[in-house]
Amino acid sequence: MKPNTWIALALGVGLLLALPALTTASLLNASIQMLIAALFACAFNVLCGQGGMLSFGHAAYFGVGTFATVHAMNAFNGAGLLPTPLMPLAGAAMGLLVGIVAGWFATKRTGAYFAMITLALAELLHALAPQLKGVFGGEAGISTMRMPAWGLTFGSSTEVYYLTLAWVLLSLALLYLYTLTPVGRLTLGLRENTHRLRFLGYDVHRLNVTVFAISAMFAGVAGGLQALNTESANYVLLEGHVSAAVVLNSYIGGVSVFLGPALGAALMTFFGYAVSDLTRAWLLYQGILFVLVMMFMPSGLTGFFQWLGAGRRAHGSAALVPLLVLGVLAGLLLTAGTVFTVELLQRFFSQDYRSMAALRPGAGWAPIALFGREWLPTAVGTWAVPLVLCGAGAALVLVVRRMWQALLDRAEEKQAAPHAAVAAQGDAL
Amino acid sequence: MSTTSIRQPILTLSGVHKSFGDTQIIRGVDLELRAGERHALIGPNGAGKSTVFHLISGHYVPSSGRISFEGHDIQGASPQHINRLGLARSFQITNIFPKLSVFENLRLAVMRRHGVQNTLWRFIGSYPKVREETEQLLEQVRLAGRRDAIAGELSYSEQRSMEIAMALASDPRVILLDEPMAGMSHEETDYAVELIKRVTQGRSLLIVEHDMDVVFSLCDRISVLVYGQVIATGTPDEIRSNQKVKEAYLGEEVAV
Amino acid sequence: MESLIVSLLNGVIYGLLLFMVSAGLTLIFGMMGVLNFAHASFYMLGAYFAFALQGSLGFWGAVVASTVLVGLVGVVVEKYFLRRVHHHGHAHELLLTFGLSFIIAELVKLFFGNFPVDYRIPASMDFALFRLGATSYPAYRILMGTVAVVMFVLVYLLLTRTRVGIIVRAAIYKPRMAEALGHNVPVVFMGVFCVGAALAGLAGAVAGAFYTTNPNMALELGVMVFVVVVVGGLGSMGGAMLASLLIGVITSLSVGVDYSLADLLAWFGAGEWARQVGGLLTLKLSSIAATIPFALMLLVLMVRPSGLMGDKN
Repeated sequence: MKPNTWIALALGVGLLLALPALTTASLLNASIQMLIAALFACAFNVLCGQGGMLSFGHAAYFGVGTFATVHAMNAFNGAGLLPTPLMPLAGAAMGLLVGIVAGWFATKRTGAYFAMITLALAELLHALAPQLKGVFGGEAGISTMRMPAWGLTFGSSTEVYYLTLAWVLLSLALLYLYTLTPVGRLTLGLRENTHRLRFLGYDVHRLNVTVFAISAMFAGVAGGLQALNTESANYVLLEGHVSAAVVLNSYIGGVSVFLGPALGAALMTFFGYAVSDLTRAWLLYQGILFVLVMMFMPSGLTGFFQWLGAGRRAHGSAALVPLLVLGVLAGLLLTAGTVFTVELLQRFFSQDYRSMAALRPGAGWAPIALFGREWLPTAVGTWAVPLVLCGAGAALVLVVRRMWQALLDRAEEKQAAPHAAVAAQGDAL
Repeated sequence: MSTTSIRQPILTLSGVHKSFGDTQIIRGVDLELRAGERHALIGPNGAGKSTVFHLISGHYVPSSGRISFEGHDIQGASPQHINRLGLARSFQITNIFPKLSVFENLRLAVMRRHGVQNTLWRFIGSYPKVREETEQLLEQVRLAGRRDAIAGELSYSEQRSMEIAMALASDPRVILLDEPMAGMSHEETDYAVELIKRVTQGRSLLIVEHDMDVVFSLCDRISVLVYGQVIATGTPDEIRSNQKVKEAYLGEEVAV
Repeated sequence: MESLIVSLLNGVIYGLLLFMVSAGLTLIFGMMGVLNFAHASFYMLGAYFAFALQGSLGFWGAVVASTVLVGLVGVVVEKYFLRRVHHHGHAHELLLTFGLSFIIAELVKLFFGNFPVDYRIPASMDFALFRLGATSYPAYRILMGTVAVVMFVLVYLLLTRTRVGIIVRAAIYKPRMAEALGHNVPVVFMGVFCVGAALAGLAGAVAGAFYTTNPNMALELGVMVFVVVVVGGLGSMGGAMLASLLIGVITSLSVGVDYSLADLLAWFGAGEWARQVGGLLTLKLSSIAATIPFALMLLVLMVRPSGLMGDKN
């Protein structure tokens, strides 16, 4: 790795280590969730971004990891075979086991079929779970308690944070080292050309199952950390939206860079935590962001940063900065307009508003409180706001596009100029 | 180039048929590849030459007939099994790992023979033999200077060279090359012919090729495939003067 | 005996419903190579649109209007979303439709709330058509089945007997050739997508009134449709029909079975032991009826990975 990367990593780890001293208690809790989501996403990416196998049911391996760990915590009570800090091993073991079985079936097919099968397997588990009350605890789930071990009580968030951080850093390191092993290199081969690997003598099904199992194992570790954190397990962890979230997070972050999914997951989890009190439409925003990324920025955020870096090298910072500023401004305007519209609609169509309107028939539409002001749904002004915001944003996008095109044209001319000069010299001779 | 003694057959196709639904593509092919020889499979477009390769390499299962490699029956066997037995092939349409580097492409091909495909506890960098062999392969096909280039960005003929290298990587006793020189320039073709002559020493080669100069200069024997059947097998001279072959290629009136 | 027939009939009708949705999916998959994850979302939209329009257009008016609306949504999805990412590959298209299905579900929750809505059969349809012994069989169920059968027949005739159908089949099989022959293949693709979506919407509009209409119905049905496609085989209409009926019937029959594996083992004298072990062994088949299709899928994957009627090569 380049020295720049080492420095960045060291800084990042340092920041993470110092975090409890720098933030509030609730942010610390959010950070624990962010770490867990980041690990889950990186585990998912072994299968998806590296192995080229798109799994829509990864919650299954996360969830069984959580349940296995909770059972282990209850069974071993902190002492004996498995002290509290080592509990995620139970999650890893269960994730590995279930991953081998599920992977054996799912990798019998490829592509879209594989995706469908992974979804079906997760739904199968989700449908079965409430029936197996002994294992999954029914509607209420199972709860447990962190037991003291190694001189620590694990009662405070700080201790849980450091435990989670240790496991996540260790797992990420292992996952990175995995990419340097023969199997890790073959994983990339699976993504690029499974067909050719067969003709090179490899047992592709076995390889697929191996990759699947490793991905599931680390997802199980993440699940185990979840169990340690929340001291509970509930079969809602097996639901579709958990599987969906990891897919969205990973692609928003970018699946072709190792830490891309981690970045996407951390960011999305943070935003979810930050805005979940302010809006009920957070999932909708996440979905919209995902679709926008898939359409306009397929390599995700990390891909965008790479593209920026290449642009800076090609055109220079001076040319790029105004573009960037305007682009960000355009983004903000469009976001503002969209958020306004969605929030307005959400309140307009909500149960509360409708019951209120039903209680006052003939009184017209009541104003909606939003962003500290009252907006009348029938007033033109109300709808003019998002219209203007989005319009301005769209106009700016067009401006940025033109500027970018001009930049590209200028770069082409510069490339052609020396040739033109030589040609002119040739003519002169 | 060829010896006077008759070599033993190493790969035999007997009465091989292949149909897709109601359409018969291969209608009874008898083909014999002798140990150490270079054997060309020629024929008009659509004759089924690539299909024959698919049948031999395990991509398709014959509808009937036998394919035998070094005495083992391989018809219906999986591609990986056939490759492990010692038979490798290249593809007519370049079939590489596009987003990986050239070095990585060849290393993936080399790795299998060193038995490391299940290894999780050592780094790939800690296998010097794998690296050496990969470097050697790169040298042989004149791609050493492009070792870090992304495979998908190579020129077409560089990719064809990589195809040949990947087929060689598993050190096969029989190598099948499917139009390896398609799209190459004259100079590149000459080099490729020399390369093939060099690397197939001690191996048996079955090659599909359209360039007749290449075929006549490279090969010991030629089989002509027309409409899914082999209509003639023999030395270049025999094939050049064969009436049926002339008719197949040039049409009855011109052949006279 | 009559409960068996009732179960069978229910199963066949549910299977036909599944087929209505999976036929469109299979067609689009076979044609464009992209698995439209949002297909079940079209089903959900059909139900919700019909529910929303029921007040102003009456039940049947709402069903028709809803079908057309969902077809239009399909056109928008194909033209403004799928076409733009087509060059990135199939996985990308799959992810995009996944994202769209996510957004559609969230939009439904936004406009209609995160709970089931009261979309019901109109009173005029709510009668029993005939009696089977002690049970009366609802007419609406028969209606649903009829709609499905009529749709299947119409689509079959359209594809095999009309000129448009031949062009569509050619475009599915060899799009570039069809284009070279002068047919506007992108329009054909859009048309097939639109019709497929509309069919799913029709299924939703008709079935949503009978079964529940809630924001989760896309996922619930969607998973079943996927199981149908995996079990039935690659792009095969016949396979989709067979798999749909099989799954419908098996699910329906299992719901009536109150026995468990432990009861089966009791025949061999291991009943007590099984009941002690508990867990999976004491689960009644009726409780896990919804998971039987998954078991079928796993079985098919083990024994015949390319599906019941899929191409082996």
